[in-house]
Amino acid sequence: MFAYYLQLGLRSLKRNPILTALMVAGIALGIAASMTTLTVLHLMGADPIPWKSDKLHYVQLDNWSPDQPYSEDGRPPDQVTYQDAVALMKAARADKQAAMFKIVQPVQPENKELKPFSSLIRATGSDFFGMFEPKFKYGAAWNHDQDDSHARVVVLGDEINEKLFGGQDSTGRSVRLNGIDYRIVGVLDKWNLRSRYYDLTNGAFADPDEMFMPFTTAIDLKTRSSGNNSCWKSSANGWDAYLTSDCVWMQMWVQLDSPQKLAAYREFLDNYVNEQKKLGRFPRPLNNRLLDVNEWMRDQKVVTRDMEVQTGLAFAFLAVCLVNTIGLLLAKFTRKSGEIGLRRALGASRREVFTQFLVESGVVGLTGGVIGLVLTGLGLVAVRALYAQYKTVAHLDWTMVATTIALAIAAALLAGLYPTWRACRVQPAAQLKV
Amino acid sequence: MEIRPILSALMRSKVSMILIGLQVALTLAIVCNALFIIGERLDRMHRPSGMNEADTFWFGSNGFGANFDAIATQQADLAVLRSMPGVTAATSTNSVPMSGGGWGEGLSLQPGQKTSTAQTTFYIVGPQALEAYGFKLIAGRDFRPEEFTAIKFGDQPHPQSVIVSKALADKLFPDSSAIGKQVYSEDKPTTIVGVIERAQQPWMDSDSIEYSTLLPMYMPYGNSTRYLVHAEPGRRDEVMKAVEQKMIEANPSRIIGKVKSIADVRRDAYAEDRAMAIILGVVIIALLAITALGIVGMASFWVAQRTKQIGTRRALGATKFDILRYFQTENFIITTLGLIAGGVLAYGLSLWLMRQYQSPRLPWYYVPVGFIALWILGQLAVLGPALRASRVPPAVATRNV
Amino acid sequence: MLTMTHLQKVYRTHLIETYALRDFSIRVNDGEFVAVTGPSGSGKTTFLNICGLLEEFTGGEYQLDGVNVRGLDDNARSRLRNEKIGFIFQSFNLIPDLNLFDNVDVPLRYRGFGAPERKQRIEEALARVGLASRMKHYPSELSGGQQQRVAIARALAGSPRLLLADEPTGNLDSLMARGVMELLEEINRQGTTIVMVTHDPELAARAQRNVHVIDGQVTDFDAEPSLRSANSGDAAVAAIA
Repeated sequence: MFAYYLQLGLRSLKRNPILTALMVAGIALGIAASMTTLTVLHLMGADPIPWKSDKLHYVQLDNWSPDQPYSEDGRPPDQVTYQDAVALMKAARADKQAAMFKIVQPVQPENKELKPFSSLIRATGSDFFGMFEPKFKYGAAWNHDQDDSHARVVVLGDEINEKLFGGQDSTGRSVRLNGIDYRIVGVLDKWNLRSRYYDLTNGAFADPDEMFMPFTTAIDLKTRSSGNNSCWKSSANGWDAYLTSDCVWMQMWVQLDSPQKLAAYREFLDNYVNEQKKLGRFPRPLNNRLLDVNEWMRDQKVVTRDMEVQTGLAFAFLAVCLVNTIGLLLAKFTRKSGEIGLRRALGASRREVFTQFLVESGVVGLTGGVIGLVLTGLGLVAVRALYAQYKTVAHLDWTMVATTIALAIAAALLAGLYPTWRACRVQPAAQLKV
Repeated sequence: MEIRPILSALMRSKVSMILIGLQVALTLAIVCNALFIIGERLDRMHRPSGMNEADTFWFGSNGFGANFDAIATQQADLAVLRSMPGVTAATSTNSVPMSGGGWGEGLSLQPGQKTSTAQTTFYIVGPQALEAYGFKLIAGRDFRPEEFTAIKFGDQPHPQSVIVSKALADKLFPDSSAIGKQVYSEDKPTTIVGVIERAQQPWMDSDSIEYSTLLPMYMPYGNSTRYLVHAEPGRRDEVMKAVEQKMIEANPSRIIGKVKSIADVRRDAYAEDRAMAIILGVVIIALLAITALGIVGMASFWVAQRTKQIGTRRALGATKFDILRYFQTENFIITTLGLIAGGVLAYGLSLWLMRQYQSPRLPWYYVPVGFIALWILGQLAVLGPALRASRVPPAVATRNV
Repeated sequence: MLTMTHLQKVYRTHLIETYALRDFSIRVNDGEFVAVTGPSGSGKTTFLNICGLLEEFTGGEYQLDGVNVRGLDDNARSRLRNEKIGFIFQSFNLIPDLNLFDNVDVPLRYRGFGAPERKQRIEEALARVGLASRMKHYPSELSGGQQQRVAIARALAGSPRLLLADEPTGNLDSLMARGVMELLEEINRQGTTIVMVTHDPELAARAQRNVHVIDGQVTDFDAEPSLRSANSGDAAVAAIA
């Protein structure tokens, strides 16, 4: 029977191509708009590390001015001071911990054919790799001893290894940054990060890090952060004064493998700040935060309000398209009352007629969904063109494809309910008068 | 006009009326708010930065090597730049308007203030800054050569003199000229020697975006520095192409990068706003098209359903124009009811947007203008089917089907 | 009241010419009650349409109440129709979404009467057909006979000179049919000219005069319709009175 209804539905749609085209177009457009925005929204806000996003926490301490909060809504600063980062690293009270900041260094390639170029480097601790789990292609991260001894070592990203060494195993070789040679201890495999979620302070979709080195090494070389730097009172002149100042320019992540560990770490942080208060720092009331990955992404509005507005708008648009489709289906099915009366007279039950027309609606939905899928693909191309930085999140994955088709069919069925019900209320006799 | 009978007939079969009315209502609500947002974004995008954007570009120099003398290089570079053909002025700087990154600082009227009087940005510039940026001096004077000092990055800058933007001058000294007055940064005094008409901060969303301060200093960022170049009209691209080569020739121990015109800086700064405006624009057009097509579809359907009735009316003496007017009136009534609901929705949506996103209130004239636009759209959309209705021959009344 | 002389109506498709009316002549005087009879396909509906200015004709002359109809544009015919003619259709043709008051109101609106005059005329018309008490009811709430009476009220409300009835009792049972016919006779007694098209000879008998139409031509007599030629494409064969 279902195949029969399918046949009938397709034939009926072919018989009135303009009306069918209008209905399909309406659904396709509405679906395309909704799915384009939903895809971007879904990927932007998606958990980047779902198997442990609730274990990784971002440390925030409120060392800000007693006269003025860092942020009007009472949130603590989004970075920590050097002193505090180092103290927390030394205390090592989490399962893993990594302080970090970003620097820019000139790379002087061995290969004289290549011009020197600037490179974005993440200065961080060796735990970073265990925490955020990038895959290694060659070698491994440096170890804690190398952290402590501010060794001149680096881990290369996949792309820069391609550029400098043609993608070969370059472990053991060296790369010269700003006149100093660093030994390559590891090379990462392609790391498909949608957003650089471990450092949201310069924008979630900013350029990715090209290499990694121990932050102790960067400090040893007196390299300033290329990221944000905020101070509420100026430090005295000089590098050492800068390190002991209350300027915030580092990010601090910890991994806590159980809720008990989380609670214990919270307590540890409170105690730490209270100790520091005794030394005259932290004039503001206690305001520590330990947001996990998803909470932190929401806090930093990775999913921008523009995206939210667009998604809402797209669904409102879909609603209009649906109402439109209801009207068109109503028009179509009402004209069929003769056929319905006939079928009923020939023995079709009300439910059979209902099903037949619901299937016809479903066929409209399926067609609209397929075309909508193509349009969604085009829509995502447009998003990538308009928002260059969203290259990584404007792509269809299989979940979204399935959702598109399902949404289209569901929408069409929903739109078809009322017209179908109306059409089926027809009394057979009234329609059969000659 | 036969409004009452039409209305009463519509009330008898509300469904089709609701379908069109709902589309019109949603369309009005969305289009009004979307247009408002587009207007806001366009206004934002057209904010003047205060600097010349047609003839200027900037680029960065990142030196390497243990013996790299950043300050000497800076001064040498400026001489080279100024000697290049097609260049009218060049200066060193840490930032430009719309670039998104820079130095934020508080200025106070008295030392020891708990909170600063105004939040400003520091543009740490070399000589020829006013010409290179294209800022317009409206009071006081430019920096003198002897006022320029050099410091290492990380040391706090304390210049003797600064130039401020007019907005900042008015904020600090609303009732008098700012020239010659002292302001305090980090409790150290500095004197305002000049006021420029306008200079935006680098951060697009700053609440104090018009408050900018120019400091006469050479302050490289470690081994890095940035230069702003003002070219002769029409020669900017030519100079942009030549500059990297020239700089490497002058000193090969560095990397020249991020050569970008200020026009491109503006384009990138407002890329999201432009994208939003485009997307909203497309949605508005699509919505209007869908609603119009929906009206055409439903109206055509009604005309076909009521052929007998149309014939009867004609038989009873209606002219073609009477029939046309009937359908236009019917559409007008439905559209009006939809628009009333839509107006309520539009304000509701605006309130919600205000609460969620702290956006400003929808100005009162958007909804009335939207009313008129959608009335016109509806009447145009129904014109086709209504004309077809008017052509139904009176003889239809006597047909017996 | 009305005179048609040598009226002709031809339908032309690509290859075929069909004469719905050929050399059709008829004269109806003021105050007459004429029944136009004939088998289906004879052209009586076409005659009715032309008589009621619902269709144009291709040849001949038609004078309605002193006005020469030939050459009138669509608007002029609508005006004439509205002022001079009242229609009664076989399937009543009431507008289902309007109540009785509004249904009778329709032709008055096109006349341009003000609201008080319309109200008065509607109430009088509905009273005349005995349905004044149900003014606010809808057609679906009435029986067939009652609906036809509302249609008659609608036809009368504008004080027409001529009432054109197309099978007025075709959709009614015999009881209702009789009621409607009595009403029509009453109206005719009060002075309105009536031309009624019907294929029912019993109904035709109640009119003053019968006009018989076969194959687009008039045969005017009171007797039974004559034999039709087997080949209906031929020119008319009619018994002569």
